[in-house]
Amino acid sequence: MSQIEADLLVIGGGATGAGVAWDACLRGYRTVLVDRSDLADGTSGRFHGLLHSGGRYVVKDPRAATECIEENLILRQVAAATIEDTGGLFVSTPADDLSYGDEFLQGCADTGVPVEEIATDEVLRREPRVNPAIRRAFAVPDGSIDAWKLLNALASGITEHGGSVLTYHKVIALHRDGDAVTGATLRDTRTDEEMEVTAGFTINASGAWAGQISAMAGIEGVTIVPGRGIMIAMNHRLVNTVVNRCTTPADGDIIVPIRTVSVIGTTDVHVADPDDHTIAQDEVDQMLDAGEQLVPGFRNARALRAWAGVRPLFRDARAEGSDRDITRSHTLLDHRERDAVERFLTITSGKLTTFRLMAQETVDAMCRHLGDARPCRTREQPLPGSEGGEYYTVGTRLRARESDGSDPLVCECEMIPRTRLEAAMRDKGTVNLDDIRRALRLGMGPCQGGFCTYRATGILHEVGHLDGATADAALLGFLQERWKGTWPILHGDQLRQSRLDDWIYQGLLDVEHLPDWSAT
Amino acid sequence: MKPDVIVVGGGMSGLAAGVGLAEAGASVLVLAKGAGSLQLAPGTIDLLGYAGERVASPLSAITALAERDPGHPYALLGADVVADAARWLTSRMADGPLAPYRYVGSPEENMLLPTAIGVPRPSALVPETMGAGDLRQGGRMVVVGFRGMKDFHPALIADNLTRATGGAMEVRATQIDPPPALDGEPGTMRLARALGRPGAAEALATRLATVARDDEVLALPAVLSIGDPHGVWETLQRSAGRPVCEIPTLPPSVPGLRLFDTLRTLLRRAGGRLVTGSYVVGFKGSGDRMEALRVHVSGGERIYATRWVVLATGGVSSGGLALDADWRMRETALGLDVAGVPAPRQPRFSPRYLDDHPLGRAGVAADRDLRPLDARGQRRWENVLVVGAALGGAEPWREKSGEGIALASGHRAAQLILGAERSVSDSAATKVAQPIA
Repeated sequence: MSQIEADLLVIGGGATGAGVAWDACLRGYRTVLVDRSDLADGTSGRFHGLLHSGGRYVVKDPRAATECIEENLILRQVAAATIEDTGGLFVSTPADDLSYGDEFLQGCADTGVPVEEIATDEVLRREPRVNPAIRRAFAVPDGSIDAWKLLNALASGITEHGGSVLTYHKVIALHRDGDAVTGATLRDTRTDEEMEVTAGFTINASGAWAGQISAMAGIEGVTIVPGRGIMIAMNHRLVNTVVNRCTTPADGDIIVPIRTVSVIGTTDVHVADPDDHTIAQDEVDQMLDAGEQLVPGFRNARALRAWAGVRPLFRDARAEGSDRDITRSHTLLDHRERDAVERFLTITSGKLTTFRLMAQETVDAMCRHLGDARPCRTREQPLPGSEGGEYYTVGTRLRARESDGSDPLVCECEMIPRTRLEAAMRDKGTVNLDDIRRALRLGMGPCQGGFCTYRATGILHEVGHLDGATADAALLGFLQERWKGTWPILHGDQLRQSRLDDWIYQGLLDVEHLPDWSAT
Repeated sequence: MKPDVIVVGGGMSGLAAGVGLAEAGASVLVLAKGAGSLQLAPGTIDLLGYAGERVASPLSAITALAERDPGHPYALLGADVVADAARWLTSRMADGPLAPYRYVGSPEENMLLPTAIGVPRPSALVPETMGAGDLRQGGRMVVVGFRGMKDFHPALIADNLTRATGGAMEVRATQIDPPPALDGEPGTMRLARALGRPGAAEALATRLATVARDDEVLALPAVLSIGDPHGVWETLQRSAGRPVCEIPTLPPSVPGLRLFDTLRTLLRRAGGRLVTGSYVVGFKGSGDRMEALRVHVSGGERIYATRWVVLATGGVSSGGLALDADWRMRETALGLDVAGVPAPRQPRFSPRYLDDHPLGRAGVAADRDLRPLDARGQRRWENVLVVGAALGGAEPWREKSGEGIALASGHRAAQLILGAERSVSDSAATKVAQPIA
């Protein structure tokens, strides 16, 4: 069994955990970040991609609104390459109460969210697909943020500053020495090998799974109510600006343009299991109908895929009352105060937009526990790739392609050249095409892997020196992973596309008869 | 123009019907929305590859399937029609513009040909350029790829074939440089065009001769030219001194294109017309007779009166069937009822990709004369025949039956129409077509 030592063990490779690890590395702590799966495979990679301006919260939750706008402005400085500066609109549809607009304006003024009321014909000039019957509109500094790019940048930053990132390492036990948590036993989920981590401090940033992790430290009552929400990506950028309904936040009231698609979200269904990613038919219908309110024709537009993410909503079983204590802003649990357990903190809930703030507060708390005041640097230090301060734009890949078109494309939809794919395969050392998807957006375009799954498997087989069985498993696994998100929404042109993909994989390649065969 | 028959759709089923009718003297108009789905297909004629287990003998398995599953298109057609259609296609290829390029094999038994990922796949009739790949014979094979070709991965094919045959075959892989004349990325169509140029086959043969070992079959991606596959293939075999076979690649498919070109040429040679870029936008019917189709053609709409319509628009992948956002399925040309569609609140698909899907067999229901049935099981139109993937009741890609159903139903539709016209002319009514017996 291998052993490593660290100042800090961070459990959970979402934005929060990676943010904590990045913050701690910048303060000089030797940090190990672990996740049972790939980075951003949990809630962080399963949201709609909104960089909040705070507008959504100005009426209902002013404190969250202020946090959002402050963090929004910081991330635009330190993580620019992961952000598209789309801007945002709040529009009053005929179904919405017009007077909410006044409350909204007042809320923005009170919380510091920059806002400007604009004429509806100006909105329609900028966004011709928006419902022409809108009656009021307000512009705010929303944006879209690419969670995978963000997580990759955080991981690079962590390793560049002496930390390490262990993906596909599941915590199977937390160790206690008296009152203190002293580390963990990890299992590599790909090889089943176990590893011991001895850590001076441990931070539980496992989001919806935080109750399961804290229970391993013998701590009871950290109850996370997983709130499952679905999102649907449409095949085009139906809008180029984030469009919100100007009303009390509800289901399906936001469309986010991100990369080559636009995403509508979301629903909120309490579920028992944070790994429950069910996509119910009525939720799909609800989202498509809600989209129709904002963009007429949405219902019949081409839907690419749907997915479900699980928000971690914290309910402290030790606190009085019940649902009243469920909060959407983040929760930092000081287990020394709460449970008399030393060298262990839990950070959960919150929003991706405020991940940096959550990380700062958490590492500050650790410093207090250790009596070791070291200042936070994440406000000023740009993430790798964002040093130039330039935003991502939707034409970035096309521009790269046009400047050098000699490298053959493996995935035409997402314009992924072969050399880039091969480099990602070598860097990640993975045998899982879904890891490559999160790194490069492989298979995320209109054909949903129809052509690139075969090509990438052949290249992975060659580059990774895989045997046939491992390559076949990669192909079948990726087909299944793509199918998981397409079948709940398949209709119209996307069903047609999917049947063409079936033609290739079943009709032409006969993958359903990989690999076993007996000669007759 | 008033054609006797309008065939809607330019894929396998539509062209089989159109060629059969035109060669028998009927006036035929084939409306094709695009280039036809044959260019997506591997170019093999798979009659029935799997019926639960892998099928060794398609005709007897089709007979058993027809008894077991009366809703399957093969139950409407029967094994004799399938055998007849297979013979017909073989004979038409031999008279086609690419002859002596021909199809080999038999509806009595399936060959097992390597796919581009190295699965032994059952096929009944295949281009002669693929026949040497039959894995039932065992032995040794070398899979030869072109460096940089992204739609063909020889090492993976070889790995899988070796495992798949349980060691009965020894398969290795190698890569060679693409032909020097090729300008740009070595894609399927570029390679096929380059290999059709004078001297290209000889140059490739020289390189292959250095690659092949004594007892190996040489397997290449299916790019041995569009216009002269027999000549290129013969040159390679002669010069390399080894059997050569093609392996079908991802779309666009060169062997599919050859089949399309052959059938289109035969249609035109027999006086039929193929209008691409056209599709049905409406129709005029009276009672159970379809009288005219309103058709989008380039430049606007036209109305074609007709005696017969053969609906060969294909399934979902070809746009012949479509599932709307309210989760209801339509037949897109004539608005026929579609059978086998789960109700809007019922599951349409299974969560596991390779499981059976409730929507998988949806399509138009027809009787044994290929006339479409409405939701109550009644004939909707007397002079409309439905063929190919628009027919419900099959899982063509899982079964490896798509081309077989398309070919046999298209061929059958031609026979049924010719038979009906014959009986009309026998009873001394107006003669429109002059069927050849």
